[in-house]
Amino acid sequence: MRITIDNLTKKFGDVVGVEDLTLHIDDGEFVAFLGPSGCGKTTTLLTLAGIYKPTEGQIRFGERVVNQVQPKDRNIGMVFQSYALYPHMTVFQNIAYPLKLKKVAKNIQRERVQQVANVMGIGNLLDRRPGQLSGGQQQRVALGRALVKEPDVLLFDEPLSNLDARLRLTMRGEIKHLQKDLGITSIYVTHDQVEAMTMADRIAVMNGGHLQAFDAPDELYSRPKTQFVAGFVGNPPMNFVSVEVSRSNGRFIAETDRLRLEVGGDRGGAAAGFAGAVVMGIRPEDIQISGDGDIAGEIYVVEPLGREDLIDVRVGPHSFLLLAGAETQYRAGEEVKLAFDMDKVQFFDPQTEKSILWQQ
Amino acid sequence: MSILKPKGGQSQSSRNALRSYLGAYGFMAPAGVLVIVFFLIPVAIVLYLSVTNLASSNFTSDLAKMEFVGLRNYETLLNDQFARKIFFNTIFYVLFTLSIFNVSAALIVSLLTTHIDRNAGFLFRALWILPRITSPVVYILIWKRMMAEAPFGIINQFNEFLGQPTYNYVATNPWVFVIVVNGFIGISFGMIIFTSAIESIPKDLLNASLVDGSSKLQRIRYVILPLIRWPLLFVVTYQTLSLLTSFVEIQLLTDGGPGLYRTEVWSLTAFHRALSNYFGNAQWGYGSAFAVLLVLIGVVLAVVYMRVFRFDELIAEPRVEVL
Amino acid sequence: MAGAGSIEMGKIKEAPVAPPIRRDLLEALQTGAISMAVMLIAAIFFSRIIGPLFTLGNVEETVTDVLSRLLLLVMPYVAYIAAASVARRYTYIDTARALGLAFTTTLALFSVVSAGHYVSDTGVFAPRPALQMTLVQSDAGIRVESVVAGGAADLAGIQAGDVITAIRRDPVDLQAFNRRVSQSLEGDPLRLRFIRGDEELQETVRIVLLSGKHFNALLPGLAFALAFTAIIVFLPGQWAPYIALVGLLSPLLIGYFWVIVATFSFRTEGLVPLDGNDNFGGLTLKNWESIFVGNIAGLEFNIVPIFMTSLAIAVVMTFIVLLVSSMAGYALSRMNFPGRRFFLSFTLILHGFPAITLLIPIFFVLLRLGDIPFIGELIGFNTIGGIALVMVAFQLPLGVWLMKGFFDNIPWDMERSALIDGASRWRTYWEILLPQIRPGLLALGIFAFIGGWNAYIIPATYSIGSGVSNLPVFLEELIDATAPVDWNQVAAVGLFQLIPIFIFFIFAQEYLLNIYAGGAKGTS
Repeated sequence: MRITIDNLTKKFGDVVGVEDLTLHIDDGEFVAFLGPSGCGKTTTLLTLAGIYKPTEGQIRFGERVVNQVQPKDRNIGMVFQSYALYPHMTVFQNIAYPLKLKKVAKNIQRERVQQVANVMGIGNLLDRRPGQLSGGQQQRVALGRALVKEPDVLLFDEPLSNLDARLRLTMRGEIKHLQKDLGITSIYVTHDQVEAMTMADRIAVMNGGHLQAFDAPDELYSRPKTQFVAGFVGNPPMNFVSVEVSRSNGRFIAETDRLRLEVGGDRGGAAAGFAGAVVMGIRPEDIQISGDGDIAGEIYVVEPLGREDLIDVRVGPHSFLLLAGAETQYRAGEEVKLAFDMDKVQFFDPQTEKSILWQQ
Repeated sequence: MSILKPKGGQSQSSRNALRSYLGAYGFMAPAGVLVIVFFLIPVAIVLYLSVTNLASSNFTSDLAKMEFVGLRNYETLLNDQFARKIFFNTIFYVLFTLSIFNVSAALIVSLLTTHIDRNAGFLFRALWILPRITSPVVYILIWKRMMAEAPFGIINQFNEFLGQPTYNYVATNPWVFVIVVNGFIGISFGMIIFTSAIESIPKDLLNASLVDGSSKLQRIRYVILPLIRWPLLFVVTYQTLSLLTSFVEIQLLTDGGPGLYRTEVWSLTAFHRALSNYFGNAQWGYGSAFAVLLVLIGVVLAVVYMRVFRFDELIAEPRVEVL
Repeated sequence: MAGAGSIEMGKIKEAPVAPPIRRDLLEALQTGAISMAVMLIAAIFFSRIIGPLFTLGNVEETVTDVLSRLLLLVMPYVAYIAAASVARRYTYIDTARALGLAFTTTLALFSVVSAGHYVSDTGVFAPRPALQMTLVQSDAGIRVESVVAGGAADLAGIQAGDVITAIRRDPVDLQAFNRRVSQSLEGDPLRLRFIRGDEELQETVRIVLLSGKHFNALLPGLAFALAFTAIIVFLPGQWAPYIALVGLLSPLLIGYFWVIVATFSFRTEGLVPLDGNDNFGGLTLKNWESIFVGNIAGLEFNIVPIFMTSLAIAVVMTFIVLLVSSMAGYALSRMNFPGRRFFLSFTLILHGFPAITLLIPIFFVLLRLGDIPFIGELIGFNTIGGIALVMVAFQLPLGVWLMKGFFDNIPWDMERSALIDGASRWRTYWEILLPQIRPGLLALGIFAFIGGWNAYIIPATYSIGSGVSNLPVFLEELIDATAPVDWNQVAAVGLFQLIPIFIFFIFAQEYLLNIYAGGAKGTS
């Protein structure tokens, strides 16, 4: 099922939930809505589900305009953050509920529920009540209930945020696998950029009710079109510093207090063409501590992450996050030299926060 | 903004809005009809009656045939030498019963019963509910026996036993008993609300305060009381209105006496005038004037409470737009 | 050496817990004094400010006066408790210290209170009404032993050796005589009838007030105060709430004890059951028997249909209240429609309506409803349907308010999930949400059931002569139909009505306590 969202605006009184959103989702695609809380991603999802009515704009499922179509007539399945399992019903009754409402014959209901439950690996739990299940099992029941009516569209509202880290990893894989298997168009709302990056075919990054970017994960990572996207995608986040880029002797120099770095030709040229200061962004993995680095700094704090250490280095007034192998034994207070991989830096317009390198 | 907006989208959506309202009104209908039939229409009728001179001597059930007398009933009421006394009686009754029993004693009882063994707490609360679930006739019978003169009265029997003088409490302290009798009924409402509020305070919070080194009394003062502020306000509001309109117990206990209107309250007057006049002549018109003023006071109080306690903050916007 | 060792040990044990005794004493005195001052101010506030304020409004009340006297009466004891709570720290560590501390403070506080009484002529130093003669009970009457020269009795001409037989025409014994005197005010005349020699004489004696400042009158009070303090010091802390609860409940406990005794008695004086000859006894099962036999003082009845009517009214009403309030509560909580805010505020205002004063207009409404074809037969005046609807309407404000609160507490996702699964709003309400507010339904159901079970004024007002009576109406009929009213019999019927609902409440209380989970919860 193709989903077409055109100029969608949803307001609650004077409060804007989402404004002028245009998004085209292909049949069978897995799209993640990524953004901080309050960015309008859940509002969009609930509008797609028919729980909210659009204030303006149009939503089409395939060719059908669904603006005024009731949720029950949209043939969608949805998994909620809280799972929203009906506590007074058994697992079987929970999964069978959509079928019961469709007036599917009892024996077919039983068959389909058993089938879905087996796929979800909860075939032996059908007589239990939700209160007797673990978080992961509840999650599977919720997924089963969404799948049992063979929906055209699957909607996920932060479904993994209530699970522990280990289970989240397992379920992440399972959901992705299942979605590819069934080929159901899916929209997945999350604030966890790792989830979005690993699962989605394309990610719609939202902020303040506006769409920031809509692209494949690696594209968002390597060619962020706004400073917000650059900062939100990637963990640990990109470092930003305000610099002036100038051209001297055919070379491009990015300069600010205590920093003076040479930028490669393409990127430097674009940045130098910009009048005034620009925001330079550089990812932690593009900064190395190395003896022959040319920027001197002092280690402020070292956070061991196990495989590697996250190190905060202060260079004058600036602070840079970077990663170093766990075998390195840096200590806070140590003086170090930094080497910047200037071929991978990003530049943003400080006013519009748009990328100077990649125009939309 | 959108050029893709479907034709007629606006009218379609307003039609949908209407349909969705119809759904809501469907849910509201039974309550709405009952409220209209048994509250709004009666209030309209009582307003109308208050400007007629309907009494048992010229009774008619046909509203059109009643004799219109304008505001004469209200004039009579304002010039009634006892109206002022009854008005202050009412304030006195509500103020004292509410503050001593319905709020303070209820709070003390719920604090006490939540700080003892759970089952014992249940038992004590069950005993406190007795006045509310006993038939008023029997409940008042008990209190009449409590305050009766020697040798029948229970209190006077204790007085004699202790070598104290005995009293005719009905004559000497009628208000004390009116307030105590109503207060003992009133305790249970606040007790239930407060107890359930205290029970719903997370146990972690209660334990944390003890770990932090506060005594049980300090915990009540600094943790529990601030957390049950809302139910406190709710009980104050709800019980003021309840007390304003309650009169059955007073009617059975003292019937407004002894003497002239000594313990008469406003709602009892409305009842007396309209239904059980001393002279056997029910003055429905005049009684309605009392009722109208009481309705007015109740409404004004309720509105004030809603403003002060910001009840409308409770009315969150629905987060589903489905019919 | 051994001595030194024990001192060492003592130090180790006491050093962290025992500040200088003077500091404890000061703290205890201060605590006691503050609590006394607070209560004194409160007492003065009631008797000197609030009381006169209401007197201005013509309210003839004694409540403020009683309250203020009550406060003054308990004031010293509250102070002893407050002071003793300081001493209680040492009860199980150093008993002597605890007792010493408590007794010292109690003594000090007692002196302050007594000094206050002395100065203000109150308490044990209050002037007492007296006739200034000593009396003893003899077979013939009250014999005057001696008369204070120049005193009230002497002025009236009463002499030692006179035998008092009556006040006016009421024969008295010494106890009654003393009671009469103690209740009199200064200057009250007492006309005494007495025998001197063979003559029967009458003289009027005027009561005088004697301010008896005898310090030995303090001794019983002091002994009591010290005993009280000792109890407080040794009282296990976990007993305190029980004692307070039983104390608060005592009027009810005594009252209900009486009513139970009364239903098994021929007649009672105070708490004592008496037989026809005023002797202890007269216990009988008659009052209970007659309920089941179906004949009370000639009034014949069958208790079973009356009981069933009560049950039916309560059950039907509970069911309707639950349905109607939960529907309205659902719409108010979950749906958007014009008038929503208004209706919700209105439910609270409705509660402020003196429903009872609407009895008259509702009578007119029911008359009109009765004129409606077909359904008029069901809901008009003098029908069970009409009665039930009126009672339901009166229960609605609380019901709607509670139900809305419970619905508010169900996560929105639950509702959204049901809608996406394909449910209509009605099915969402009925199949998904209603089962989840069961605690709320139970709580409201208990209220409604109690209301329905005890409903009296509405069935009595709107069912004239229909022969449909529930227990409360029957109770009233019983009172009206029998003269003189056998109150013990009435009490038995009342208890008969109370027992099922009380048992019901005991089992239902746990659910009732969920009421706050939704009902009265606010934003703060």
